[in-house]
Amino acid sequence: MPSMHRSGSRPQLDLSKAAIQGNFEVKNPTILLPNQSDDISHLALDIGGSLIKLVYFSRHEDQSIDDKRKKTIKERLGISNGNRRSYPILGGRLHFVKFETTKISECLDFIHSKQLHRGGIHATGGGAYKFADLFKERLGVSLDKEDEMDCLVAGANFLLKAIRHEAFTHMEGQKEFVQIDTNDLFPYLLVNIGSGVSMIKVDGDGKFERVSGTNVGGGTYWGLGRLLTKCKSFDELLELSQRGDNRDHRHIGLSASTIASSFGKTISDKKELADYRPEDISLSLLRMISYNIGQISYLNALRFGLKRIFFGGFFIRGHAYTMDTISFAVQFWSKGEAQAMFLRHEGFLGALGAFMSYEKHGLDDLMVHQLVERFPMGAPYTGGRIHGPPLGDLNEKISWMEKFVLKGTEITAPVPMAPSGTTGLGGFEVPLSKGSTLRSDASALNVGVLHLVPTLEVFPLLADPKMYEPNTIDLADRSELEYWFTVLSEHLPDLVDKAVASEGGTDDAKRRGDAFARAFSAHLARLMEEPAAYGKLGLANLLELREECLREFQFLDAYRSIKQRENEASLAVLPDLLVELDSMSKETRLLMLIEGVLAANIFDWGSRACVDLYHKGTIIEIYRMSRNKMQRPWRVDDFDAFKERMLGSGDNKPRPHKRALLFVDNSGADVVLGMLPLARELLRRGTEVVLVANSLPALNDITAMELPDIVAEAAKHCDILRRAAEAGGLLVDAMINTLDGSKENSPSVPLMVVENGCGSPCIDLRQVSSELAAAAKNADLIILEGMGRALHTNFNARFKCEALKLAMVKNQRLAEKLIKGNIYDCVCRYEPAR
Amino acid sequence: MHRSGSRPQLDLSKAAIQGNFEVKDPTILLPNQSDDISHLALDIGGSLIKLVYFSRHEDQSIDDKRKKTIKERLGISNGNRRSYPILGGRLHFVKFETTKISECLDFIHSKQLHRGGGGAYKFADLFKERLGVSLDKEDEMDCLVAGANFLLKAIRHEAFTHMEGQKEFVQIDTNDLFPYLLVNIGSGVSMIKVDGDGKFERVSGTNVGGGTYWGLGRLLTKCKSFDELLELSQRGDNGTIDMLVGDIYGGMDYSKIGLSASTIASSFGKTISDKKELADYRPEDISLSLLRMISYNIGQISYLNALRFGLKRIFFGGFFIRGHAYTMDTISFAVQFWSKGEAQAMFLRHEGFLGALGAFMSYEKHGLDDLMVHQLVERFPMGAPYTGGRIHGPPLGDLNEKASEARVCLLLLEMPLPLSNTVYIANYLN
Repeated sequence: MPSMHRSGSRPQLDLSKAAIQGNFEVKNPTILLPNQSDDISHLALDIGGSLIKLVYFSRHEDQSIDDKRKKTIKERLGISNGNRRSYPILGGRLHFVKFETTKISECLDFIHSKQLHRGGIHATGGGAYKFADLFKERLGVSLDKEDEMDCLVAGANFLLKAIRHEAFTHMEGQKEFVQIDTNDLFPYLLVNIGSGVSMIKVDGDGKFERVSGTNVGGGTYWGLGRLLTKCKSFDELLELSQRGDNRDHRHIGLSASTIASSFGKTISDKKELADYRPEDISLSLLRMISYNIGQISYLNALRFGLKRIFFGGFFIRGHAYTMDTISFAVQFWSKGEAQAMFLRHEGFLGALGAFMSYEKHGLDDLMVHQLVERFPMGAPYTGGRIHGPPLGDLNEKISWMEKFVLKGTEITAPVPMAPSGTTGLGGFEVPLSKGSTLRSDASALNVGVLHLVPTLEVFPLLADPKMYEPNTIDLADRSELEYWFTVLSEHLPDLVDKAVASEGGTDDAKRRGDAFARAFSAHLARLMEEPAAYGKLGLANLLELREECLREFQFLDAYRSIKQRENEASLAVLPDLLVELDSMSKETRLLMLIEGVLAANIFDWGSRACVDLYHKGTIIEIYRMSRNKMQRPWRVDDFDAFKERMLGSGDNKPRPHKRALLFVDNSGADVVLGMLPLARELLRRGTEVVLVANSLPALNDITAMELPDIVAEAAKHCDILRRAAEAGGLLVDAMINTLDGSKENSPSVPLMVVENGCGSPCIDLRQVSSELAAAAKNADLIILEGMGRALHTNFNARFKCEALKLAMVKNQRLAEKLIKGNIYDCVCRYEPAR
Repeated sequence: MHRSGSRPQLDLSKAAIQGNFEVKDPTILLPNQSDDISHLALDIGGSLIKLVYFSRHEDQSIDDKRKKTIKERLGISNGNRRSYPILGGRLHFVKFETTKISECLDFIHSKQLHRGGGGAYKFADLFKERLGVSLDKEDEMDCLVAGANFLLKAIRHEAFTHMEGQKEFVQIDTNDLFPYLLVNIGSGVSMIKVDGDGKFERVSGTNVGGGTYWGLGRLLTKCKSFDELLELSQRGDNGTIDMLVGDIYGGMDYSKIGLSASTIASSFGKTISDKKELADYRPEDISLSLLRMISYNIGQISYLNALRFGLKRIFFGGFFIRGHAYTMDTISFAVQFWSKGEAQAMFLRHEGFLGALGAFMSYEKHGLDDLMVHQLVERFPMGAPYTGGRIHGPPLGDLNEKASEARVCLLLLEMPLPLSNTVYIANYLN
């Protein structure tokens, strides 16, 4: 089995002299890694009155990717890097970190310790002027000052174009992510709420005008709030507001929809300041200011006929009440015609914009499909100050998890957490026990690390990429979320067993396994608490999160040994199956092949029901049992239409497909006894076959790395496969002992393997590898196999070419919901070209 | 000269100054004074009750022979334009603090201003109990607009601009009055697009108004009255409280977007970073910062609404302003700044009485509908110079008691106001 070279994408931190600053007992120790230096391209700062925002990019050259299979595929598919630009885009990660401005010294230490300043620093915000000397003195660099408005706009434009669900609406506590059509983005009104408020009409990249603003902003809330409540921090004040009385109008003039006069009630009473609850004061202030901003924003949008108003800036902090109030104001005054939208990266617009001001950072024409946002293990733990990038070192991660468990907090089990609220940063956040430190509310959203993967592309055969939604199951539905939350929780112990076993069952593996379980449980708990915490959440995202979490704890391939065992067992019976198939008529054989795919799809370690089956017999026994149950009609049964297309009827002899893309699913019987024979049949008909497999392991799914060896093994016993594999360049290295040693005269159509760019049991066709995109160009048939790729995702996807979706439903709820059937029902959906 | 009738003839019997004679602003009661009252309108706000009432004078000496002859000769007839004659009389503007409603009731009772009416409101029971009168409610917006329209048409120099401490009275062409934006700043703020008499729409408003200034100011400064708070602001420096553009940019302007170093970037933005407590800030500075924040905000939202409907004129009224120069300057500056000089804020001399006057206008047959500006003369009675004094007895004519009605218009909370003057109505033609 080839080793996993993609592990190079994990940060490798130099942990020498790593130290936790301060007392180990404190809740939020600061972690400094003095000797660590990433391969930093750029650092940008937005130094505001209360917060310093950092955006920096760490680059990774992925040297291991160009293995021989890839080279061959690239040549064959005519892929070449660097055509689109004169310098290559390098993969890497965009990190988002913040510090309080009063603690600028810590910020300087952080920059210094990570040597982030070596490539210069671009800075914006008033502090770029105010602290210029300090930076010069401490770091020896001059700040390249960028205009604040330029940066805000550049940052917002980048986010709205590059992050798919960056914007969302927030009404009455409900978040709804908005898909922005990047071709129809402009013009819009950008309202940045910092200490003061700027309102900017944005007409395009670099084309904007500050049309308005107000001096009643975040600074007013915090300044007045501090005078009136003696709160020590902005977050404390915000926290107070959550306990403010929102219903009782008598206190200080709050009313549901019409406040005649903010603080109007405090005039008539005989009470002193001390007689009012700080909670009510904070809430009243928050309402007054949010409402006012919403109103002035709307009036300005109206003035210029702008349909969209995006609100950003650190005032909002994902605070539900603030967003609701602003939304209410906009809706109220516009009589429902305008809508307020918020940005997940609200506080980072300026810093991101300063970052964008670097030339040749390669992000200018970055497309949304080239970015993947990941939430490292720290994401669910809130309140910590972030002073470092995601920790790469396993021991650090594990010890944090263990330490956290020792504190006896409730995240040890996948149950909804007590209110927490991250300020939403992708870096490492220190677990925080409940209670003593104030947090902003749970609705605050996380901001992950943006992984820039320049090789990702949109799958070119999507009929309508703009309308495409990969997820069939929307987890915005609370009952769905709870169901899958339970499924994943229940499956967790088995997964941990497999993972630990895959690493030899050592004590180290057990520790990692425990830490993984806790980290993933914490993610689940966080998402139960706030489903939108990580952005728009579909089942595919949840399943991928689990795989990423495994990788984070260096379980590179939890099902490695199981996959190996099943592949070997299946390959052993393949020759007999092929002989059996070859003895049949074309019609019978086609049915047998499809039945075979559906029957073999029963082997799925992601399904609890199937895991139970494994205990009842060998995989071959299960396969035969499953096979015998294949009684047509299936629950969704388009076989006759597919057969008509393949074999025709009467004198009608249809033209064979030119190229078929087969999206394979599980290892073992599924791929060996199901998909390979189907591929062979297509090859025999003269159709080129491209097997599309995962780039990274997910459950027991076969990967693109593993497939060539399996094909080579199968080819030993099958001339059709051998010639096709040779033609496809799959057998370059393999020792091929052909049965007769003679070369056929007629060249075969090729059998190829491409990676799909994913490490998930599902597939989002908006982000696939460039080689899959290249392979798709001449394809006229797509076969999606398995629950993850044909049901959980893409069940409703429409393609420009013919598509066949094959899966056995191994989940009762999904069966009921999707096809009004039962567990083990089958789907054979054939869709002609659009 | 019959105009002398416009001078008050008070029944001073048992006149008494309430309280200590030494105090500066004694309350004067004229218990035995009664007027020939036609109508009474009340605007009962959260903090102030505004009264407008009309006292009529049947001028028996007017119909002398010379006049009759002149009328016949010139073909003047009273009955041509309306079926009832316009009566000469006086329009009085009086206010009480709402907390002292009892004094108000005493006043109404002593003057027998109450008779008739219907409806039930917050103070209805009290009125019923004390005066045996029911209250009719008039729509708040109707009243504001009717009041403003009356004032802008009937009082020659009702409106004025106020820039950098300079008042300039504006002559409004009554034929070119509409449309305009009326911004009434009470406790909260209403913005009304007025297209004509009775034709208007409340297009906007804000909850950040006079109540916010007084409410927040009271919490922050321990001032005992609105006027005290306003007074404080005159000695304030908001630079210690507000984050200015210069504070952010190290003393520099952000000239690219037209912000000077002294522009307020964030109201109260400076009180976040200091280690100071509330007690460490000067109440004067706090008051000024609050006043600027609220006035500026009102000016901005008003301008945006005027722009939206293409309105050239914005009139600001309501008890918040109370003729305070800094308030008016700030509002004017905001309107000028955001409109780049194209729009102008105007203020009303009877700013606080729009609602009460409007309620008064809602009487049928009061004869003021088509009152012309030349038919009104404004006089300032003896109480006028005593600013801040509470006057509880209007200038009155004779002792004949007439049936009166009491109507009420409940408005948003209103602020206390220095003594207002009285508008007398004379009818030259009768």
